[in-house]
Amino acid sequence: MQRISTDEVFDVLVVGSGAAGSVIAAQAARAGKRVLVLESGPARQMSDLVSSQLWARRLKWSGAPVEEAGNLPIGHNFNAGWGTGGSALHQFAVWPRLHENDFKLKSDYGRGLDWPIEYDDLRPYYDRVQTEVGISGDARAEKWRPPGQKYPMAPLPVFAQGRLIDKGFVAQGMTTAPIPVAINSENYRGRKACLYDGWCDAGCPIGALANPLATYLAWALEAGAEIRNRATVVKILHDISGRIATGVEYCDADGARHTVRASTVVLAAFAVQNARLLLASASERHPHGLSNKNDLVGRYLMTHPANSIYGLFSDETQPHLGPTGGQLINHDHYLQKEKGKAFGSYQWLIANALKPNDLLGIANTRPDIYGAALNDFMRKAASHMGNMVFVGEDLALAENRIELSEHKDDYGVPLARATHNILDPTALLCDAAVAQGLAVFKSAGAAQPWAGPRIGMHIMGGTVMGENAASSVTNQYGRLHELDNLFIAGPGLFPSSGAVNPTFTIHALALRTADHILGSDMPSNPA
Amino acid sequence: MEHDRRRFLKSSGIALSAIVGGEMLRVSPRSAQAAALPYQILTEEEVATLQGLAEAIVPGAREGGISHYIDKQLAAAAPNCLLMLKYLGVPFEDYIGFYRGGLRSADRLARLRFSLSWSMLSAEQAQTLLVEMSGNTPLQWDGPPAPFFFFVLRADSSDVVYGTEQGFERIGMPYMAHIEPAQAW
Repeated sequence: MQRISTDEVFDVLVVGSGAAGSVIAAQAARAGKRVLVLESGPARQMSDLVSSQLWARRLKWSGAPVEEAGNLPIGHNFNAGWGTGGSALHQFAVWPRLHENDFKLKSDYGRGLDWPIEYDDLRPYYDRVQTEVGISGDARAEKWRPPGQKYPMAPLPVFAQGRLIDKGFVAQGMTTAPIPVAINSENYRGRKACLYDGWCDAGCPIGALANPLATYLAWALEAGAEIRNRATVVKILHDISGRIATGVEYCDADGARHTVRASTVVLAAFAVQNARLLLASASERHPHGLSNKNDLVGRYLMTHPANSIYGLFSDETQPHLGPTGGQLINHDHYLQKEKGKAFGSYQWLIANALKPNDLLGIANTRPDIYGAALNDFMRKAASHMGNMVFVGEDLALAENRIELSEHKDDYGVPLARATHNILDPTALLCDAAVAQGLAVFKSAGAAQPWAGPRIGMHIMGGTVMGENAASSVTNQYGRLHELDNLFIAGPGLFPSSGAVNPTFTIHALALRTADHILGSDMPSNPA
Repeated sequence: MEHDRRRFLKSSGIALSAIVGGEMLRVSPRSAQAAALPYQILTEEEVATLQGLAEAIVPGAREGGISHYIDKQLAAAAPNCLLMLKYLGVPFEDYIGFYRGGLRSADRLARLRFSLSWSMLSAEQAQTLLVEMSGNTPLQWDGPPAPFFFFVLRADSSDVVYGTEQGFERIGMPYMAHIEPAQAW
């Protein structure tokens, strides 16, 4: 194997070009730092984002396989992205904030873990990201919303599907609000308005949806950051003391090994690969993996348990219209986490745009229908179907973890094995929510609503932040407890999952890390 | 809204590229099927079983080019493979074995129950076997679990029949492409 050592030295080296990595790269480059982003997947341009649920699969994980186990697998290949922009390239851009009660699970409820920060520490970063990127929504209508600046854009329109399902919520004494999305309802800072065509999963090529190609990665490149694609990091390097990361070793598309050095190294390769890289970079100073003295790297892996509710309505629903992430949102039952034997917050994402095929497409909602009956179902559903998604809170459990497999990838690096189980309190939460969802749909007029299987949505944990090395992998800024200049960015830091889509929080947390690295931390909760 | 910026596609100009005699051809899936373009992975017997099975599960799959679709994806490198199997926990290196095992087992089931290859079954006979294999794995089945294989093949067939611009039109759903796919797959 060809080995190329270079004298290249960067101020900030970012591994991964998704949501978290892009924010760090942009902020560092804007501050005049010499920034290199190493991206394992291929280069992506806006023009690659063709409208097809078949071609959309190229945007999903195609790197080293992840072995999965447990009663609720994390669904890595579906949730993780592949190529420039990472998972954020196919995100649905549903951007609610975590709630104030999501940050102290252990202290407040005796379960899971505490964050080392509170909502007020993150609030100014939510506000900054929201202003830079743009969010469409109606803050006042979200009666459950934690404090923060109102959204810079009016909400997206609600189409027939949303209006119909909303009647069910009203009948059940519940409340909906326009969904907060990082999708433009109007032209915003040079980016176009949404066309409401439901192709979010295939990637938005007009930049209406805030994917990294349209926002922070674009800004990073404009400010002088460099990105190298097909650059797979295989090892993190450190000095003789074991306290200072000196750079990384990566393999290019031809398999040649390169070494690059940097003053600050940021791992932003998503939850599973970050933990895998730390474990696979074991050395004499760190025999169990980097910063893994207390066997915490890889632990507290989480995914949101999710179920879809479906129904056919007599009225036309136009299910192809609107964003894939939904038109309306409900957090009525978010603030009360203790629900008898069930535990956790949850949200409903309501009236998601549908396509005929793919894992979440219309055809797969009824796998029991086939033959001639399938075409009849498809024709009916194409204009009369409604759906919504339950997103539940997962609990941080130490036994849910990422480990190294005995199998290796093409570069000789052990694969990741991800084990994830949910316990009864979470399963009961899901069951109760599904019953509620079916009742809402019946009230809305769906004759025979049905529920899809429980799946894992989003991936969090594995390199959790905390107060000290005895209970966490990093400090509140994502810096590893055992290395002074090695940072983690992304949802792997989350000590609790909450029950909201994580991408907004990923951005806010990464911005906070970037400020810390660059020495310009913001005060908490400014007036 | 700015729907006037959008083209609602009415044509069926879906193209499939294939190399025939060293020359790159761009043909529709329907034409590829009609022209009997050569296969890279699947055998004649596997193609016959696949077409019969897929057509019974999702009518229109044969004409839509299911066998060329599966064959092309199985011949692709992992990052270029579009099969939904990538979401379902099957390692890429096992894809060919997955389809081979399922098709072989389905054909064997047809021979055991009706003394016919799957491709020769009547519609009624095929439906009888689909009920059997979609519910449980038959005793004589040595491929991937039969209900899982059924689920995957049903999803693949749905991709071919409903996931293209033609397929949207078939069920009356506007396609509303930002960027039209140059090829169906």
